[in-house]
Amino acid sequence: MKLAKYVKFREEKFGSVLFETRSEKVYTLNPTATAVVRELQAGRDELDIPGRLKERFRDDSGAIEREVVAFFAELRQKGLVED
Amino acid sequence: MATRASGPGVGSQVPVTTPAATESGDLGAPLYIAWQVTNECNLACLHCIEESGPGKAFRDELTDEQVFSVLEQALDLEVPYLSFSGGEPMVHPRFFDMVEYVCGRNGQLKIETNGHYLTPENCARLKSLGVKAVQVSLDGASRETFNRMRVRGDFDRALEGVRNLHTAGVPIEINYSPTCFNAHEIGVAVDLAAELGAYSFYTGRTMYTGNAVKTWHRLALSEAQYDTFFEVLHRKTGEYRGRMRVHFHEMGLLEELRYRLHHPAALLIVLPNGLVKLINALPFVCGDLRQQTLGEIWARFQQAWQDPRVAKFVEDLAEDPHKTASLHQWVYL
Repeated sequence: MKLAKYVKFREEKFGSVLFETRSEKVYTLNPTATAVVRELQAGRDELDIPGRLKERFRDDSGAIEREVVAFFAELRQKGLVED
Repeated sequence: MATRASGPGVGSQVPVTTPAATESGDLGAPLYIAWQVTNECNLACLHCIEESGPGKAFRDELTDEQVFSVLEQALDLEVPYLSFSGGEPMVHPRFFDMVEYVCGRNGQLKIETNGHYLTPENCARLKSLGVKAVQVSLDGASRETFNRMRVRGDFDRALEGVRNLHTAGVPIEINYSPTCFNAHEIGVAVDLAAELGAYSFYTGRTMYTGNAVKTWHRLALSEAQYDTFFEVLHRKTGEYRGRMRVHFHEMGLLEELRYRLHHPAALLIVLPNGLVKLINALPFVCGDLRQQTLGEIWARFQQAWQDPRVAKFVEDLAEDPHKTASLHQWVYL
């Protein structure tokens, strides 16, 4: 999975923005979502990312993993990523 | 409006907005730079807000060195999206070099053109350079209305240009400025855009500024005409859903500017001579790229919007909507 052709990513103090330049929509991401996109940008496998973030954020509840999976689904549904 | 998700979670809803609606507040750089690269144009359109035309290049337009310095700064700041307009951007002698530079550095670039230089060769070149989109102004669905609006223009040539874009595989957007003599064609124009392979269609209210000040009596629509115009657009939006996006702004200028006073967009308007405006519909200049860096100008952009002269101008518009006639008498903040 990688960012779609017309999607630009820029880090900001508050997190980051994803800019889909065809629809001209801007998506504002919090630091955790930013970490997910950063992982994608680094070429990490989609399946590895939830575990990596769970470890990084020291989350034993499993909430981060669930949210990352939901976030991937949302990125797909909005056409912000492609396989 | 810029909404920020907070807390440790990713959140299942990603806040969504548009660059024009995204506030500049906490952003480290603009999201969008709309650059009028020259005021020179091969046409002399009745409604041109920039008063462009043959021989209308500013005397002090940016030098090549300055142009490429600004582009370098924009891309260093990771401005994700730029547009080149004019005048007619394709008459700029370094047009393709500029396109090549932006696309070569992975910037997303839109070209806003009158379509008269979209030869098969130029379209193939734009495609190979990787422009994000080319927006062509088609203010009319017939030779009669288009040629009346676009003085020196040729409907068939513009249409041919759009077809050349389509053949080359360049994403197409169509822009339409309504007047009393072309508004009735809006439905056909939307259909034509779809037939030509456009993925977006843009329109809104034509502004009383630039050339339109002198020609208003030949252009102005009544509110009743606008009602019909927008009614058709609402219908067309539904008709083309999923195939072509139909964008239109019903909001009047005053409402838009009142909103912007509190929510400045993350957008810089760069004039051919490097002056940077707060927004096209105001005369205020908040920087000069010949003397300041893009970063410096961005850093004081928010503050410039708070200058009391800006709010006063907007409120005076409520009393006198024709104040927009003076947009080219720049006021330095």
